[in-house]
Amino acid sequence: MADSEPKGPSRLPVVVNKATPYTFDLGLLLASDPNPLLLTSPENLNDDLAATARDGAQALLNQLLSTCPITNTPNGVLLSLPGIETRLPREKPLPPPKAQTTWEKFAAKKGIKSKSAEAKKKMVYDDATGEWVPKWGYKGINKKADEAWIVEVDEKKERERKEGAQVQGDGRRERKEKVRRNERLQRANERKQKKNHGGRG
Amino acid sequence: MLRQIKPRNARSKRALDKKAPKAVENPKTTLFLRGTTCSQVVQDALTDLFQLRIPLAKKFTKKNPIHPFDDASSLEFFSEKNDASMLVFGSTSKKRPHAITLVRTFSYKVLDMVELYLNAETFRTLAQFKNKKCAVGLKPMLLFAGTPFESPVSDEYTLLKSFFTDFFKGEPADKVDVEGLQYIVSISARDTVDGEEVKPSVHLRVYLIRTKKSGQKLPRVEVEEMGPRMDFRVGRVKEADESIMKEALKRAKTSAERPKKNISTDIVGDKMGRIHLGRQDLKELQTRKMKGLKRSRDVARSEDEMEEDEISEDEPAKKTRKR
Repeated sequence: MADSEPKGPSRLPVVVNKATPYTFDLGLLLASDPNPLLLTSPENLNDDLAATARDGAQALLNQLLSTCPITNTPNGVLLSLPGIETRLPREKPLPPPKAQTTWEKFAAKKGIKSKSAEAKKKMVYDDATGEWVPKWGYKGINKKADEAWIVEVDEKKERERKEGAQVQGDGRRERKEKVRRNERLQRANERKQKKNHGGRG
Repeated sequence: MLRQIKPRNARSKRALDKKAPKAVENPKTTLFLRGTTCSQVVQDALTDLFQLRIPLAKKFTKKNPIHPFDDASSLEFFSEKNDASMLVFGSTSKKRPHAITLVRTFSYKVLDMVELYLNAETFRTLAQFKNKKCAVGLKPMLLFAGTPFESPVSDEYTLLKSFFTDFFKGEPADKVDVEGLQYIVSISARDTVDGEEVKPSVHLRVYLIRTKKSGQKLPRVEVEEMGPRMDFRVGRVKEADESIMKEALKRAKTSAERPKKNISTDIVGDKMGRIHLGRQDLKELQTRKMKGLKRSRDVARSEDEMEEDEISEDEPAKKTRKR
Protein backbone atom coordinates (compact mmCIF):
# COMPACT_ATOMS: atom_id res chain seq x y z
CA MET A 1 0.00 0.00 0.00
CA ALA A 2 2.73 2.46 0.93
CA ASP A 3 5.03 3.53 -1.88
CA SER A 4 7.72 5.27 0.03
CA GLU A 5 9.18 8.04 -2.07
CA PRO A 6 11.50 10.00 0.08
CA LYS A 7 12.59 12.33 -2.73
CA GLY A 8 9.54 14.20 -4.16
CA PRO A 9 8.34 17.48 -2.73
CA SER A 10 8.76 17.32 1.02
CA ARG A 11 5.23 18.45 1.82
CA LEU A 12 2.40 17.10 -0.28
CA PRO A 13 -0.95 18.60 0.68
CA VAL A 14 -3.09 16.21 2.71
CA VAL A 15 -5.89 18.56 3.73
CA VAL A 16 -9.07 18.64 1.67
CA ASN A 17 -10.97 21.90 1.60
CA LYS A 18 -14.56 21.83 0.43
CA ALA A 19 -17.34 24.38 0.66
CA THR A 20 -19.57 21.96 2.55
CA PRO A 21 -17.76 19.50 4.79
CA TYR A 22 -17.98 15.76 4.17
CA THR A 23 -20.19 13.60 6.30
CA PHE A 24 -18.89 10.22 7.34
CA ASP A 25 -20.20 6.89 8.48
CA LEU A 26 -16.97 5.31 9.54
CA GLY A 27 -18.60 2.02 10.49
CA LEU A 28 -19.28 1.49 6.80
CA LEU A 29 -16.11 3.25 5.62
CA LEU A 30 -18.45 5.67 3.90
CA ALA A 31 -18.01 9.33 3.07
CA SER A 32 -20.55 11.55 1.41
CA ASP A 33 -19.58 14.68 -0.39
CA PRO A 34 -22.58 17.01 -0.49
CA ASN A 35 -20.86 19.51 -2.81
CA PRO A 36 -22.02 19.77 -6.40
CA LEU A 37 -19.84 17.77 -8.72
CA LEU A 38 -17.17 19.86 -10.48
CA LEU A 39 -17.24 18.86 -14.12
CA THR A 40 -15.34 20.93 -16.67
CA SER A 41 -16.17 19.29 -20.00
CA PRO A 42 -17.64 15.97 -21.12
CA GLU A 43 -14.23 14.85 -22.45
CA ASN A 44 -12.62 15.45 -19.09
CA LEU A 45 -15.31 13.57 -17.18
CA ASN A 46 -13.10 10.73 -16.01
CA ASP A 47 -10.32 13.01 -14.79
CA ASP A 48 -12.82 15.15 -12.92
CA LEU A 49 -14.37 12.09 -11.31
CA ALA A 50 -10.93 10.81 -10.36
CA ALA A 51 -10.10 14.16 -8.77
CA THR A 52 -13.34 14.08 -6.77
CA ALA A 53 -12.65 10.50 -5.73
CA ARG A 54 -9.10 11.38 -4.69
CA ASP A 55 -10.34 14.21 -2.48
CA GLY A 56 -12.98 11.93 -1.02
CA ALA A 57 -10.51 9.13 -0.38
CA GLN A 58 -8.08 11.55 1.23
CA ALA A 59 -10.78 13.02 3.47
CA LEU A 60 -12.07 9.59 4.45
CA LEU A 61 -8.60 8.25 5.20
CA ASN A 62 -7.73 11.38 7.18
CA GLN A 63 -10.91 10.99 9.21
CA LEU A 64 -10.29 7.27 9.76
CA LEU A 65 -6.69 7.69 10.86
CA SER A 66 -7.37 10.68 13.08
CA THR A 67 -10.54 9.59 14.90
CA CYS A 68 -10.40 5.78 15.12
CA PRO A 69 -8.29 4.16 17.81
CA ILE A 70 -5.32 2.39 16.22
CA THR A 71 -3.85 -0.78 17.66
CA ASN A 72 -0.59 -2.37 16.65
CA THR A 73 -0.80 -6.15 16.53
CA PRO A 74 1.48 -8.80 15.05
CA ASN A 75 -1.14 -9.24 12.32
CA GLY A 76 -0.96 -5.62 11.26
CA VAL A 77 -2.18 -2.19 12.23
CA LEU A 78 -5.84 -2.40 13.10
CA LEU A 79 -8.39 0.41 13.14
CA SER A 80 -11.34 0.06 15.49
CA LEU A 81 -14.41 1.28 13.66
CA PRO A 82 -17.37 2.89 15.40
CA GLY A 83 -20.90 1.55 15.00
CA ILE A 84 -22.90 1.94 11.82
CA GLU A 85 -25.16 5.00 11.79
CA THR A 86 -26.84 4.64 8.41
CA ARG A 87 -30.18 2.90 8.67
CA LEU A 88 -30.22 0.02 6.23
CA PRO A 89 -33.19 -2.32 5.96
CA ARG A 90 -32.93 -5.78 7.45
CA GLU A 91 -33.39 -8.85 5.29
CA LYS A 92 -35.73 -10.62 7.68
CA PRO A 93 -37.97 -9.41 10.48
CA LEU A 94 -36.74 -9.38 14.06
CA PRO A 95 -37.04 -12.79 15.72
CA PRO A 96 -40.01 -13.10 18.09
CA PRO A 97 -39.12 -12.78 21.76
CA LYS A 98 -38.33 -16.03 23.54
CA ALA A 99 -41.29 -17.69 25.30
CA GLN A 100 -41.24 -17.68 29.10
CA THR A 101 -40.45 -20.96 30.82
CA THR A 102 -42.94 -22.40 33.29
CA TRP A 103 -40.75 -21.27 36.16
CA GLU A 104 -40.38 -17.74 34.76
CA LYS A 105 -44.14 -17.45 34.42
CA PHE A 106 -44.68 -18.71 37.97
CA ALA A 107 -41.99 -16.45 39.39
CA ALA A 108 -43.44 -13.43 37.63
CA LYS A 109 -46.90 -14.25 38.97
CA LYS A 110 -45.67 -14.71 42.52
CA GLY A 111 -43.23 -11.84 42.35
CA ILE A 112 -40.22 -14.04 43.05
CA LYS A 113 -36.96 -12.41 42.24
CA SER A 114 -33.50 -13.91 42.31
CA LYS A 115 -31.67 -13.32 45.57
CA SER A 116 -29.50 -10.28 45.90
CA ALA A 117 -25.79 -10.64 46.58
CA GLU A 118 -26.43 -9.62 50.20
CA ALA A 119 -29.16 -12.23 50.67
CA LYS A 120 -26.94 -14.97 49.24
CA LYS A 121 -24.23 -14.52 51.87
CA LYS A 122 -24.18 -16.99 54.71
CA MET A 123 -22.59 -14.83 57.36
CA VAL A 124 -24.38 -11.96 59.03
CA TYR A 125 -23.22 -9.43 61.56
CA ASP A 126 -24.59 -9.88 65.03
CA ASP A 127 -25.04 -6.46 66.56
CA ALA A 128 -25.43 -7.78 70.08
CA THR A 129 -22.11 -9.64 70.26
CA GLY A 130 -20.26 -7.75 67.53
CA GLU A 131 -19.37 -10.94 65.69
CA TRP A 132 -19.98 -12.45 62.29
CA VAL A 133 -22.18 -15.54 62.63
CA PRO A 134 -23.78 -17.87 60.11
CA LYS A 135 -27.47 -17.41 59.34
CA TRP A 136 -28.17 -21.10 59.92
CA GLY A 137 -26.41 -24.32 60.95
CA TYR A 138 -23.88 -24.64 63.77
CA LYS A 139 -24.05 -21.54 65.94
CA GLY A 140 -26.59 -20.14 63.54
CA ILE A 141 -28.35 -16.92 64.36
CA ASN A 142 -31.74 -18.55 63.76
CA LYS A 143 -31.29 -20.50 67.00
CA LYS A 144 -30.94 -17.39 69.09
CA ALA A 145 -34.51 -17.51 70.37
CA ASP A 146 -33.90 -21.02 71.79
CA GLU A 147 -31.33 -19.72 74.25
CA ALA A 148 -33.67 -17.29 75.96
CA TRP A 149 -33.70 -18.09 79.69
CA ILE A 150 -37.14 -16.67 80.26
CA VAL A 151 -40.07 -17.05 77.89
CA GLU A 152 -43.50 -15.53 78.06
CA VAL A 153 -46.30 -18.08 78.23
CA ASP A 154 -48.43 -18.11 75.11
CA GLU A 155 -51.80 -19.37 76.32
CA LYS A 156 -53.04 -20.47 72.93
CA LYS A 157 -49.91 -22.46 72.15
CA GLU A 158 -49.97 -23.95 75.61
CA ARG A 159 -53.46 -25.32 75.03
CA GLU A 160 -52.48 -26.95 71.72
CA ARG A 161 -49.24 -28.40 73.01
CA LYS A 162 -48.79 -32.14 72.61
CA GLU A 163 -48.52 -34.38 75.61
CA GLY A 164 -45.03 -34.41 77.10
CA ALA A 165 -43.63 -31.64 74.91
CA GLN A 166 -41.91 -28.68 76.49
CA VAL A 167 -41.36 -25.07 75.57
CA GLN A 168 -37.59 -25.69 75.33
CA GLY A 169 -37.71 -27.73 72.12
CA ASP A 170 -40.24 -25.54 70.31
CA GLY A 171 -37.84 -23.68 68.02
CA ARG A 172 -36.02 -26.82 66.96
CA ARG A 173 -39.29 -28.66 66.29
CA GLU A 174 -40.50 -25.76 64.16
CA ARG A 175 -37.34 -25.72 62.08
CA LYS A 176 -37.44 -29.48 61.54
CA GLU A 177 -41.05 -29.27 60.49
CA LYS A 178 -40.18 -26.55 57.98
CA VAL A 179 -37.51 -28.77 56.40
CA ARG A 180 -39.90 -31.70 56.20
CA ARG A 181 -42.60 -29.55 54.67
CA ASN A 182 -40.20 -28.26 52.02
CA GLU A 183 -39.12 -31.80 51.15
CA ARG A 184 -42.73 -32.82 50.88
CA LEU A 185 -43.46 -30.00 48.43
CA GLN A 186 -40.34 -30.87 46.45
CA ARG A 187 -41.49 -34.45 46.04
CA ALA A 188 -44.95 -33.29 45.03
CA ASN A 189 -43.44 -30.98 42.38
CA GLU A 190 -41.35 -33.81 40.95
CA ARG A 191 -44.37 -36.04 40.79
CA LYS A 192 -46.41 -33.34 39.08
CA GLN A 193 -43.69 -32.71 36.52
CA LYS A 194 -43.43 -36.40 35.66
CA LYS A 195 -47.16 -36.52 35.13
CA ASN A 196 -47.30 -33.40 32.94
CA HIS A 197 -44.23 -33.98 30.78
CA GLY A 198 -44.33 -37.74 30.43
CA GLY A 199 -41.37 -38.29 32.71
CA ARG A 200 -38.94 -36.41 30.48
CA GLY A 201 -38.20 -33.22 32.37
CA MET B 1 -44.22 -19.68 -0.07
CA LEU B 2 -42.21 -22.81 0.23
CA ARG B 3 -43.56 -25.58 2.41
CA GLN B 4 -42.61 -25.42 6.05
CA ILE B 5 -39.93 -27.97 6.77
CA LYS B 6 -39.57 -29.61 10.13
CA PRO B 7 -35.95 -30.62 10.59
CA ARG B 8 -35.48 -34.36 10.82
CA ASN B 9 -31.80 -34.42 11.52
CA ALA B 10 -29.13 -32.17 12.98
CA ARG B 11 -27.77 -31.12 9.59
CA SER B 12 -31.07 -29.83 8.27
CA LYS B 13 -31.72 -28.16 11.61
CA ARG B 14 -28.43 -26.31 11.36
CA ALA B 15 -29.29 -25.24 7.83
CA LEU B 16 -32.68 -23.96 8.95
CA ASP B 17 -31.18 -22.15 11.92
CA LYS B 18 -28.79 -20.43 9.57
CA LYS B 19 -31.72 -19.13 7.55
CA ALA B 20 -33.89 -18.16 10.51
CA PRO B 21 -34.39 -14.49 11.44
CA LYS B 22 -31.73 -13.29 13.82
CA ALA B 23 -31.27 -10.23 15.98
CA VAL B 24 -27.86 -9.66 14.40
CA GLU B 25 -28.26 -10.74 10.81
CA ASN B 26 -26.01 -12.60 8.45
CA PRO B 27 -24.51 -10.40 5.77
CA LYS B 28 -26.83 -10.15 2.78
CA THR B 29 -26.22 -12.50 -0.10
CA THR B 30 -26.54 -11.08 -3.57
CA LEU B 31 -27.88 -13.15 -6.42
CA PHE B 32 -27.04 -12.25 -10.00
CA LEU B 33 -29.58 -13.27 -12.63
CA ARG B 34 -30.15 -12.60 -16.31
CA GLY B 35 -33.27 -12.32 -18.40
CA THR B 36 -34.07 -14.12 -21.61
CA THR B 37 -32.38 -11.37 -23.58
CA CYS B 38 -29.30 -9.92 -22.05
CA SER B 39 -26.66 -8.11 -24.06
CA GLN B 40 -22.98 -9.00 -23.71
CA VAL B 41 -22.42 -5.58 -22.17
CA VAL B 42 -24.86 -6.27 -19.36
CA GLN B 43 -23.49 -9.76 -18.89
CA ASP B 44 -19.99 -8.32 -18.49
CA ALA B 45 -21.30 -5.72 -16.09
CA LEU B 46 -22.98 -8.41 -13.99
CA THR B 47 -19.76 -10.42 -13.94
CA ASP B 48 -17.80 -7.41 -12.72
CA LEU B 49 -20.32 -6.51 -10.05
CA PHE B 50 -20.24 -10.15 -9.01
CA GLN B 51 -16.45 -9.98 -8.79
CA LEU B 52 -16.70 -6.98 -6.45
CA ARG B 53 -19.29 -8.69 -4.29
CA ILE B 54 -17.56 -12.07 -3.84
CA PRO B 55 -17.80 -13.96 -1.44
CA LEU B 56 -21.31 -12.80 -0.54
CA ALA B 57 -22.65 -13.49 -3.99
CA LYS B 58 -24.11 -16.15 -6.24
CA LYS B 59 -24.36 -15.94 -10.00
CA PHE B 60 -26.72 -17.87 -12.22
CA THR B 61 -26.25 -18.02 -15.96
CA LYS B 62 -29.48 -19.56 -17.19
CA LYS B 63 -32.04 -17.38 -18.93
CA ASN B 64 -35.05 -16.39 -16.87
CA PRO B 65 -38.24 -15.01 -18.37
CA ILE B 66 -38.71 -12.39 -15.65
CA HIS B 67 -39.97 -8.82 -15.85
CA PRO B 68 -39.28 -7.51 -12.35
CA PHE B 69 -41.58 -4.50 -12.51
CA ASP B 70 -44.50 -6.53 -13.89
CA ASP B 71 -44.28 -9.67 -11.85
CA ALA B 72 -41.61 -10.18 -9.24
CA SER B 73 -42.87 -13.50 -7.90
CA SER B 74 -40.06 -15.54 -9.46
CA LEU B 75 -37.52 -13.15 -8.00
CA GLU B 76 -39.11 -13.74 -4.61
CA PHE B 77 -38.87 -17.46 -5.20
CA PHE B 78 -35.18 -17.16 -6.07
CA SER B 79 -34.65 -15.01 -3.02
CA GLU B 80 -36.20 -17.58 -0.72
CA LYS B 81 -34.54 -20.59 -2.31
CA ASN B 82 -31.08 -19.07 -2.13
CA ASP B 83 -31.56 -17.04 1.04
CA ALA B 84 -30.47 -14.00 -0.94
CA SER B 85 -31.96 -10.65 -0.03
CA MET B 86 -30.36 -8.66 -2.82
CA LEU B 87 -30.85 -9.51 -6.45
CA VAL B 88 -29.24 -7.98 -9.49
CA PHE B 89 -31.12 -8.73 -12.67
CA GLY B 90 -29.78 -7.93 -16.13
CA SER B 91 -31.81 -7.73 -19.31
CA THR B 92 -31.92 -5.96 -22.61
CA SER B 93 -34.82 -4.92 -24.79
CA LYS B 94 -35.34 -2.38 -27.50
CA LYS B 95 -37.23 -0.11 -25.16
CA ARG B 96 -34.94 -0.67 -22.19
CA PRO B 97 -31.43 -1.23 -23.49
CA HIS B 98 -28.81 -2.68 -21.13
CA ALA B 99 -31.01 -2.62 -18.07
CA ILE B 100 -29.75 -3.70 -14.68
CA THR B 101 -32.41 -3.98 -12.00
CA LEU B 102 -31.36 -3.87 -8.37
CA VAL B 103 -33.82 -5.59 -6.06
CA ARG B 104 -33.87 -5.83 -2.30
CA THR B 105 -36.16 -8.17 -0.44
CA PHE B 106 -37.50 -8.20 3.08
CA SER B 107 -38.56 -11.59 4.41
CA TYR B 108 -38.41 -12.89 0.82
CA LYS B 109 -40.81 -10.25 -0.50
CA VAL B 110 -39.65 -7.48 -2.77
CA LEU B 111 -38.92 -4.37 -0.71
CA ASP B 112 -37.68 -1.93 -3.33
CA MET B 113 -36.32 -1.94 -6.86
CA VAL B 114 -34.34 0.42 -9.06
CA GLU B 115 -33.71 0.02 -12.74
CA LEU B 116 -30.49 1.36 -14.21
CA TYR B 117 -29.67 1.65 -17.89
CA LEU B 118 -26.01 1.09 -18.52
CA ASN B 119 -24.28 3.32 -21.02
CA ALA B 120 -22.67 0.83 -23.39
CA GLU B 121 -20.28 3.36 -24.96
CA THR B 122 -18.54 4.38 -21.77
CA PHE B 123 -18.66 1.00 -20.07
CA ARG B 124 -15.27 -0.55 -19.32
CA THR B 125 -14.87 -3.92 -17.64
CA LEU B 126 -12.56 -4.79 -14.81
CA ALA B 127 -10.28 -6.68 -17.19
CA GLN B 128 -9.91 -3.76 -19.58
CA PHE B 129 -7.86 -1.86 -17.03
CA LYS B 130 -4.43 -3.40 -17.18
CA ASN B 131 -3.21 -3.03 -13.66
CA LYS B 132 -2.97 -4.91 -10.43
CA LYS B 133 -6.35 -5.66 -8.86
CA CYS B 134 -7.03 -5.75 -5.18
CA ALA B 135 -7.58 -8.98 -3.30
CA VAL B 136 -11.00 -10.64 -3.46
CA GLY B 137 -13.42 -9.99 -0.61
CA LEU B 138 -11.79 -6.84 0.72
CA LYS B 139 -14.00 -4.21 2.27
CA PRO B 140 -14.09 -1.19 0.00
CA MET B 141 -14.25 2.41 1.08
CA LEU B 142 -17.28 4.23 -0.25
CA LEU B 143 -17.76 7.73 -1.52
CA PHE B 144 -20.98 9.35 -2.65
CA ALA B 145 -20.39 12.64 -4.36
CA GLY B 146 -22.93 15.10 -5.61
CA THR B 147 -26.01 16.87 -4.35
CA PRO B 148 -28.65 14.36 -5.58
CA PHE B 149 -27.58 11.81 -2.98
CA GLU B 150 -28.14 14.29 -0.16
CA SER B 151 -31.76 15.00 -1.00
CA PRO B 152 -33.86 15.24 2.18
CA VAL B 153 -36.85 13.54 0.57
CA SER B 154 -36.40 9.99 -0.60
CA ASP B 155 -36.10 9.75 -4.37
CA GLU B 156 -34.32 7.43 -6.79
CA TYR B 157 -30.91 8.84 -5.86
CA THR B 158 -31.22 8.38 -2.12
CA LEU B 159 -32.58 4.92 -2.84
CA LEU B 160 -29.55 4.23 -5.02
CA LYS B 161 -27.30 5.44 -2.23
CA SER B 162 -28.96 3.04 0.16
CA PHE B 163 -28.67 0.24 -2.40
CA PHE B 164 -25.02 0.75 -3.16
CA THR B 165 -24.20 1.15 0.53
CA ASP B 166 -25.86 -2.18 1.12
CA PHE B 167 -24.12 -3.68 -1.89
CA PHE B 168 -20.59 -2.59 -1.02
CA LYS B 169 -20.94 -2.92 2.73
CA GLY B 170 -19.29 -6.32 2.84
CA GLU B 171 -19.07 -8.36 5.98
CA PRO B 172 -19.61 -6.42 9.17
CA ALA B 173 -16.36 -5.71 10.94
CA ASP B 174 -15.55 -3.67 14.01
CA LYS B 175 -11.86 -3.66 13.17
CA VAL B 176 -10.16 -3.24 9.82
CA ASP B 177 -6.57 -3.63 8.84
CA VAL B 178 -5.05 -0.41 7.53
CA GLU B 179 -3.40 -2.50 4.82
CA GLY B 180 -6.86 -3.64 3.79
CA LEU B 181 -8.01 -0.15 2.82
CA GLN B 182 -6.96 -0.69 -0.77
CA TYR B 183 -9.73 0.58 -2.95
CA ILE B 184 -12.55 3.05 -3.02
CA VAL B 185 -15.87 2.85 -4.80
CA SER B 186 -16.91 6.27 -5.89
CA ILE B 187 -20.49 6.90 -6.92
CA SER B 188 -21.21 10.36 -8.19
CA ALA B 189 -23.95 12.28 -9.86
CA ARG B 190 -24.10 15.77 -11.29
CA ASP B 191 -26.69 18.04 -9.71
CA THR B 192 -29.97 18.54 -11.47
CA VAL B 193 -30.38 21.59 -13.67
CA ASP B 194 -33.75 23.27 -13.58
CA GLY B 195 -35.71 23.03 -16.78
CA GLU B 196 -33.81 19.99 -17.95
CA GLU B 197 -35.89 16.87 -18.43
CA VAL B 198 -33.13 14.30 -18.29
CA LYS B 199 -32.16 13.05 -14.88
CA PRO B 200 -28.42 13.24 -14.21
CA SER B 201 -26.59 10.00 -14.80
CA VAL B 202 -24.86 8.10 -12.04
CA HIS B 203 -21.16 7.36 -12.42
CA LEU B 204 -19.72 4.31 -10.72
CA ARG B 205 -15.94 4.22 -10.57
CA VAL B 206 -13.61 1.98 -8.62
CA TYR B 207 -10.16 3.23 -7.77
CA LEU B 208 -7.12 1.66 -6.18
CA ILE B 209 -5.60 3.79 -3.47
CA ARG B 210 -1.92 4.63 -3.43
CA THR B 211 -0.53 6.40 -0.40
CA LYS B 212 2.59 8.50 -0.44
CA LYS B 213 4.62 9.94 2.36
CA SER B 214 3.67 13.56 2.69
CA GLY B 215 6.15 14.61 5.32
CA GLN B 216 3.26 14.91 7.73
CA LYS B 217 1.54 12.43 9.97
CA LEU B 218 -1.18 11.66 7.46
CA PRO B 219 -0.27 10.16 4.10
CA ARG B 220 -1.01 11.72 0.74
CA VAL B 221 -3.58 9.70 -1.20
CA GLU B 222 -3.50 9.15 -4.94
CA VAL B 223 -6.02 7.09 -6.90
CA GLU B 224 -5.67 4.84 -9.90
CA GLU B 225 -8.69 3.50 -11.72
CA MET B 226 -9.12 -0.22 -11.34
CA GLY B 227 -12.46 -0.72 -13.06
CA PRO B 228 -15.20 -1.43 -13.75
CA ARG B 229 -16.35 1.91 -15.10
CA MET B 230 -20.09 2.26 -15.41
CA ASP B 231 -22.37 5.14 -16.20
CA PHE B 232 -26.04 4.64 -15.53
CA ARG B 233 -29.25 6.37 -16.37
CA VAL B 234 -31.91 5.86 -13.72
CA GLY B 235 -35.01 4.10 -14.97
CA ARG B 236 -38.07 2.79 -13.25
CA VAL B 237 -38.21 2.77 -9.47
CA LYS B 238 -40.36 0.87 -7.02
CA GLU B 239 -40.09 2.40 -3.61
CA ALA B 240 -40.70 0.42 -0.46
CA ASP B 241 -44.06 0.39 1.24
CA GLU B 242 -43.78 2.72 4.22
CA SER B 243 -45.04 0.27 6.84
CA ILE B 244 -42.84 -2.54 5.53
CA MET B 245 -39.83 -0.25 5.45
CA LYS B 246 -40.54 0.74 9.05
CA GLU B 247 -40.63 -2.92 9.99
CA ALA B 248 -37.41 -3.55 8.07
CA LEU B 249 -35.58 -0.70 9.77
CA LYS B 250 -36.26 -2.04 13.26
CA ARG B 251 -33.21 -2.79 15.30
CA ALA B 252 -32.83 -5.38 17.99
CA LYS B 253 -32.57 -4.05 21.50
CA THR B 254 -28.97 -4.35 22.48
CA SER B 255 -27.61 -4.94 25.92
CA ALA B 256 -25.58 -1.76 25.57
CA GLU B 257 -26.36 0.66 28.35
CA ARG B 258 -28.99 3.24 27.61
CA PRO B 259 -28.33 6.72 28.90
CA LYS B 260 -30.06 7.22 32.22
CA LYS B 261 -32.79 9.79 32.03
CA ASN B 262 -33.24 12.72 34.39
CA ILE B 263 -29.77 12.47 35.87
CA SER B 264 -27.26 15.14 35.04
CA THR B 265 -24.05 16.51 36.42
CA ASP B 266 -23.60 20.25 36.80
CA ILE B 267 -20.38 22.17 36.25
CA VAL B 268 -19.26 21.75 39.87
CA GLY B 269 -19.57 17.98 39.49
CA ASP B 270 -22.65 17.51 41.64
CA LYS B 271 -25.09 14.88 40.49
CA MET B 272 -28.50 16.36 39.83
CA GLY B 273 -31.69 14.40 39.61
CA ARG B 274 -35.07 15.46 38.34
CA ILE B 275 -37.97 13.60 39.95
CA HIS B 276 -41.62 13.36 39.14
CA LEU B 277 -43.94 14.10 42.04
CA GLY B 278 -47.23 13.19 40.47
CA ARG B 279 -50.24 15.43 40.10
CA GLN B 280 -50.94 17.71 43.01
CA ASP B 281 -54.29 17.20 44.69
CA LEU B 282 -55.79 20.65 44.91
CA LYS B 283 -58.62 19.46 47.14
CA GLU B 284 -56.23 19.15 50.03
CA LEU B 285 -54.70 22.55 49.46
CA GLN B 286 -54.79 24.63 52.62
CA THR B 287 -56.01 28.06 51.75
CA ARG B 288 -56.24 31.00 54.07
CA LYS B 289 -58.24 30.15 57.15
CA MET B 290 -61.19 32.36 57.92
CA LYS B 291 -63.97 31.96 60.35
CA GLY B 292 -66.52 32.54 57.64
CA LEU B 293 -65.27 29.65 55.54
CA LYS B 294 -65.62 27.02 58.26
CA ARG B 295 -67.63 24.01 57.25
CA SER B 296 -69.37 24.08 60.60
CA ARG B 297 -70.91 27.39 59.67
CA ASP B 298 -72.75 25.81 56.75
CA VAL B 299 -75.31 24.07 58.90
CA ALA B 300 -76.26 25.19 62.35
CA ARG B 301 -75.24 22.48 64.82
CA SER B 302 -74.84 22.05 68.53
CA GLU B 303 -71.72 23.48 70.15
CA ASP B 304 -69.86 20.25 71.02
CA GLU B 305 -70.14 19.01 67.48
CA MET B 306 -68.52 22.19 66.35
CA GLU B 307 -65.56 21.60 68.64
CA GLU B 308 -65.05 18.15 67.19
CA ASP B 309 -65.12 19.57 63.72
CA GLU B 310 -62.43 22.02 64.54
CA ILE B 311 -60.07 19.27 65.67
CA SER B 312 -60.69 17.09 62.66
CA GLU B 313 -60.13 20.00 60.35
CA ASP B 314 -56.81 20.85 61.91
CA GLU B 315 -55.25 17.43 61.39
CA PRO B 316 -55.01 17.31 57.62
CA ALA B 317 -53.68 20.83 57.65
CA LYS B 318 -50.80 19.74 59.87
CA LYS B 319 -50.02 16.85 57.56
CA THR B 320 -49.74 19.06 54.55
CA ARG B 321 -47.42 21.36 56.33
CA LYS B 322 -45.10 18.50 57.25
CA ARG B 323 -44.72 17.52 53.64
